[in-house]
Amino acid sequence: MSALLAADPAQELSGVGVRRFTRKATATRADTSWLTLGGDLLSALTTAGVVVAVFGGAFSALRERIAARPDSGSAVLPGELTALVAAVLVTSAVVALLSRLGPVSATPATAAWWLPLPAGRRGLLRGELRRVGLVGVVAAVVVALPVVLAAPQAPSVPEVAVTVAGAALLALAVVGGLVVLQAAGRTGWVAPVPGALATVVVVVPAVGGTLVDGWGWVPSAPDVPLPLLLGVPAVLAVLGLLAADRVSGRLAAGALRERGTAVFVASASALSLDTRELGRALGTPVHPPRRQRSWSWVKGPWHAVVAADLAVFARSPWRWGQLAIGAALPVLAARTRGLGEVPALVAVAVVIGWALAAVALGEPSRRAHGAPAADRSLPMSAREIVRARALVPLVGLVLVCGVSLGLTGLGWQWVLLGVVTAPAWAGAAVRGGYRPELDWSGPVLSSPMGAVPTGVGATLVRGLDLGVLGTVPLIVGLLLGEVPQLLLGIAVLWSVGLGVLSVQTAQRRKD
Amino acid sequence: MAKTGLLEVHDLSVGYGGEPVCAPVSVSVHAGTALGVIGPNGAGKSTVLQTVVGLLPALGGTVQLDGRDVDEREAGFRRAVATVLDDDAFFPSLTGAEHLLLTARGHGVADAERVVAEEIEEFGLTERAHALPSALSSGQRRRLALAAAFVRPARLLVLDEPERRLDAQMRRRLAARIAEDVADGLTVVFASHDPEFLSTVARRVLVVDDEACSVVSPKVAVAALSEG
Repeated sequence: MSALLAADPAQELSGVGVRRFTRKATATRADTSWLTLGGDLLSALTTAGVVVAVFGGAFSALRERIAARPDSGSAVLPGELTALVAAVLVTSAVVALLSRLGPVSATPATAAWWLPLPAGRRGLLRGELRRVGLVGVVAAVVVALPVVLAAPQAPSVPEVAVTVAGAALLALAVVGGLVVLQAAGRTGWVAPVPGALATVVVVVPAVGGTLVDGWGWVPSAPDVPLPLLLGVPAVLAVLGLLAADRVSGRLAAGALRERGTAVFVASASALSLDTRELGRALGTPVHPPRRQRSWSWVKGPWHAVVAADLAVFARSPWRWGQLAIGAALPVLAARTRGLGEVPALVAVAVVIGWALAAVALGEPSRRAHGAPAADRSLPMSAREIVRARALVPLVGLVLVCGVSLGLTGLGWQWVLLGVVTAPAWAGAAVRGGYRPELDWSGPVLSSPMGAVPTGVGATLVRGLDLGVLGTVPLIVGLLLGEVPQLLLGIAVLWSVGLGVLSVQTAQRRKD
Repeated sequence: MAKTGLLEVHDLSVGYGGEPVCAPVSVSVHAGTALGVIGPNGAGKSTVLQTVVGLLPALGGTVQLDGRDVDEREAGFRRAVATVLDDDAFFPSLTGAEHLLLTARGHGVADAERVVAEEIEEFGLTERAHALPSALSSGQRRRLALAAAFVRPARLLVLDEPERRLDAQMRRRLAARIAEDVADGLTVVFASHDPEFLSTVARRVLVVDDEACSVVSPKVAVAALSEG
């Protein structure tokens, strides 16, 4: 009888004791021998070594190729600046991701079986804190390594080591700071800050590099002694981690459980290669409206679809930043010394930037695919609804592509080429949003990532595929360095054709 | 002066994103009594229970256990309150018995193995005690989660639809068991859709609604449930 059970608080398991109990019970059914762990460690180290060697080689080769190219007049931004922008972009994404997922969280099982125990939460969560710290360190290495390897002068091994170690220590300090904010229940403002920062650091150099004739500032490594270069981040890391450990006992079970569920869904989506569901799991909630709208201009079902899409988009502030970054990336590449002279690299930046914009504008389609009931209530055929849903992406991408390519190529003909390429990407946005789920019921293939269903590649790139195809005339223009009338005409037919094909072949869920 | 309840809920507003899901709740639950919670699907019963045990922040009002504001981060609160809400999560590599042993030892229960063995038998899990959760049926997992609330000491037991996924016989046994524990001094708050469970266990019933939340007798509540 629970009310009458005898219990002694002195005999309660501590947080460490609870973790040990769970670990021991797990160990009896898992192969966790030293031999296995050693093998796993060796395998991880080998993989990391191969990745570093491959990326290092690729960066080195790229640096030499770029250095051999003559400078063009319009590429004024130093490569170091763009490398720094890329680092800030990735770091912002990692910080936003960590704040969305906790950073400390509890798996559903942990939330159900550990957190209700009287054991100190600090001890219970210490393992999780270590894991989050490790994630921060790995992310820092992944960000810092390409940046230091991309430096115009080949860096020495000690320089690479110091940079990577400094970044790893700073990452630990950031993780510690995020945990402190989490315990105070103040992570709500964290994600928007790196989001805004990422937008500013991409847009400002892109616009600045276009408007000014010469860019004066070149980022360089701070000229400070080594002990200080590593000492300050080390002190910050220790302070951050100590503070995080100290406040982890104040983390609320409800919030830990909610973040843990997000981690669980995100992990499951990543493992099942469902990138759309992954986006939903990591996505920020739509902001509630500040005022009720009357929608007086809505006169029919087509208007209703457009109004709903505009509302979804307007209440997702992240998407605005995504559009700005998507538009600015090709401009940044074109204005960067070394990159701007290589049309293939500018084309890659165009594809990445516009794909980012198309994903942002595909948000209403993704939501509609996830909750088809609202669409079914409209007096329109499924095909008509999908067509109507292409309108908002089309308008958005006409603006993004026109402005983006106009600033990239610096001429009205480039603006026109960007505008006429937009239909292909608008179709891609809708096609990607409505793409079918992966079919795990059919035959699967063995891969280094485990079993994957056949046709996984085609499903994952659905949408993006026709967008990239639609960019082919633009790539030709970039290679030619001009936009002949004939190319413009071909681009119109090609892009509109692909846009129509995308919308016609966007599949709706059958349920 | 009126006697203060073990659990005092005053003008409690519950919901998500700042939006309340039901009318504010005020209720006092004395030690050794059971309060049922009823309401239509989506009325906010689970939200009320989760807020009462501190898993969701209250939008307004207060919840006090033994005169102190509820804070599930305090070990003393976790010692006093056992919950079985809508969780169906288990460690994949721990057997059912190990889950219960973890709970019992975690609470410093004397002779934890014996207590766990008794509850395993009580909840009809003897045959499956050493099976991993993946090898248990949905009903067996529910019984395992319920058993966990009884292998540890508690002053307040909070249950969200305990009858869910249980067969009729197990429902009756559980209701009788809880009623017995209430007679022995346990305080219980539970949400339920089952008139029989409600009439066996509850002394009073909180009706959760959009307009106003009220406390009624089990007889009135059972009549309301039967009318649907």
